[in-house]
Amino acid sequence: MNMPAVFAVAKLSFREFFRQPEAVFWTYGFPLLMTIVLGFTFRPAAPPLIRVAVVASADAAALCAVLAKNPRLAVAVLDAATADQSLARGRIQALVRGPSGDLTVRADPMRPDAELARLQIERALRGGDWQGPHQEAEDRPGARYIDFLVPGLVGLNLLGAGMWGIGFNLTEYRSKKLLRRLFVTPLRRSEFLLGFLLSRLTLLIPESVVILAFGMLCWDVPFRGSMVAASAILIVAALSFVGLGILVASRARTVEGVAGLMNLCQLPMWLLGGSFFSTEHLDGALGAVAAAMPLTQCNNALRDLMLEPKGLADVAYPLCFLSGFAALSFTLALRLFRWT
Amino acid sequence: MKSDGLAIELRGLRKVYTRGKKTTVALDGLDLEVRRGEVFGLLGQNGAGKTTTVEICEGLTQQTAGEARILGRCWRTGMDQEIRARIGVCLQETRFFEKQTVRETLQLFAACQGRGCSVDDALALVSLQEKADARQSQLSGGQRQRLAVALAMLGEPELLFLDEPTTGLDPQSRRQLWDVLRAYQRRGSTVLLTTHYMEEAQVLCDRIGIVDHGKLIALGSPQELIRSLGADTVVEFSVGDVNALDEGAMRQLPGVQSCEIRGGKVTLTVALVHTTVPPLLAWLAQRGAELLELATRHATLEDVFVARTGRHLREEESA
Repeated sequence: MNMPAVFAVAKLSFREFFRQPEAVFWTYGFPLLMTIVLGFTFRPAAPPLIRVAVVASADAAALCAVLAKNPRLAVAVLDAATADQSLARGRIQALVRGPSGDLTVRADPMRPDAELARLQIERALRGGDWQGPHQEAEDRPGARYIDFLVPGLVGLNLLGAGMWGIGFNLTEYRSKKLLRRLFVTPLRRSEFLLGFLLSRLTLLIPESVVILAFGMLCWDVPFRGSMVAASAILIVAALSFVGLGILVASRARTVEGVAGLMNLCQLPMWLLGGSFFSTEHLDGALGAVAAAMPLTQCNNALRDLMLEPKGLADVAYPLCFLSGFAALSFTLALRLFRWT
Repeated sequence: MKSDGLAIELRGLRKVYTRGKKTTVALDGLDLEVRRGEVFGLLGQNGAGKTTTVEICEGLTQQTAGEARILGRCWRTGMDQEIRARIGVCLQETRFFEKQTVRETLQLFAACQGRGCSVDDALALVSLQEKADARQSQLSGGQRQRLAVALAMLGEPELLFLDEPTTGLDPQSRRQLWDVLRAYQRRGSTVLLTTHYMEEAQVLCDRIGIVDHGKLIALGSPQELIRSLGADTVVEFSVGDVNALDEGAMRQLPGVQSCEIRGGKVTLTVALVHTTVPPLLAWLAQRGAELLELATRHATLEDVFVARTGRHLREEESA
């Protein structure tokens, strides 16, 4: 075997890689950065509080006092309807219902933290003269984890398909010099980008509808609010994510580079966008970051409209937020966009 | 000439590329005028600055200094859309959207151009009707190049840019493309063509500019340029031992304008064959040099290029 040739090829490949600063960064720098950020986020600290509601009754205050002795529990008294709603929206992990002689803990066994909530409630009640608790599984449509999850998956799909679909293609066309040829025609940037936006939009909306229909037909996921409002949310959310995709791809010269930027935008939204677990109770900086994410606004609005009988007026804020986000990202992308 | 008779007017054009600490001067004060209705050829070696010149004219590249007026207008002065609507461009390398058919590609660009001939006319112009529904991957290199030219002509432009339109094509495809261009030329449009095929320039162009090291070093019609050699015939010969020959002495022979020894072959440009060849043969016999080959031909643009630069147009092919 011609080893010098083998080494020469190895050297060539090394050089090719290291002479692409973006490839080096996304391969080594970015994972390191992510590790550091995640390390800080989940560094050893007091375990997170388990949120529990006590359904309002004569015994509620006393029950509250007992439960509050367990430092792992954050307890609040809610009326029955609000408590149900909070459980459905993932704002609380379990609800406890009196009377004192016959306690019931209601939680969705499909949620990862439901069992933990039940154990901590039992520990708090131990030694007292409370009877129970009985276990009760939350399995009514509209209050299960699946009902929480489906709107989140719709949002996640809009994010992924919207950003990747446009960012990847734009960059590929640029790197293959396909955009240069379009540049020398009278076609304007805005026309070109709008064309792309339209094509993605016509793909994204039916995609979301399919996911929603699947959830409703196969798992009885309810749709209690306004469908018109939900359609409006889907459209502005799709525009936001496509706009973000165009923005990210407005100057990237290689597919590897744009892939890294895409991940940089999407990973925090996967973690904090509220698709898999509620991030509504996050406070401080993390809560502010989550609230500023288009995915969070999209997920919350969709859940409002599907799980609660809400209408256009109730989602006015996310509607405005997402419209503004879409307009801003598209305007910026138009400014930054390069054909070559 | 009044400048409104000019399709392209370049004054002191300079382009410097900077990458890190390395700077490359691609254009070093280039002046050029292309008249309306003429086919103008930019001739030069690879890296001479032809493509940079064309890309500045097309608005793809911004010059470092100097002025470029295209159809009387300058790029980046709010006129870009208007200029683009009136020019047609065939880039040095045109890549297409792979999954599109020929017809779909033409339709896309026709929509971008917003005016001009129909897609069917464009297909007919480059004889691609049979391939109208073929995808890009099913086209040969020549067919792709014809499509690129068709795209450039779609908007029926007043000014057509063709950057090495026949590079990499087999001779038959090249001639087919020449026919397309000649047909187009008859309509009276202006064409700026770059090439490093001197035959192409000679066949297609009304006037030619030779670019070398970012400057225009010669300008005129093909006939004028050849006449400028002062000798329009070339004598080429080879002998057993080229090293025995003396360039200086050969230049002294009657009627010899220039002499070049290259690759075992001697090339003399001469005014008249019959005044040079007999003394040449006598001179060779006197030195005992064995003549292996002797030929005469008319001088070409290639000879003009060699005379001006000391190099061949396509070094890699003539070396």
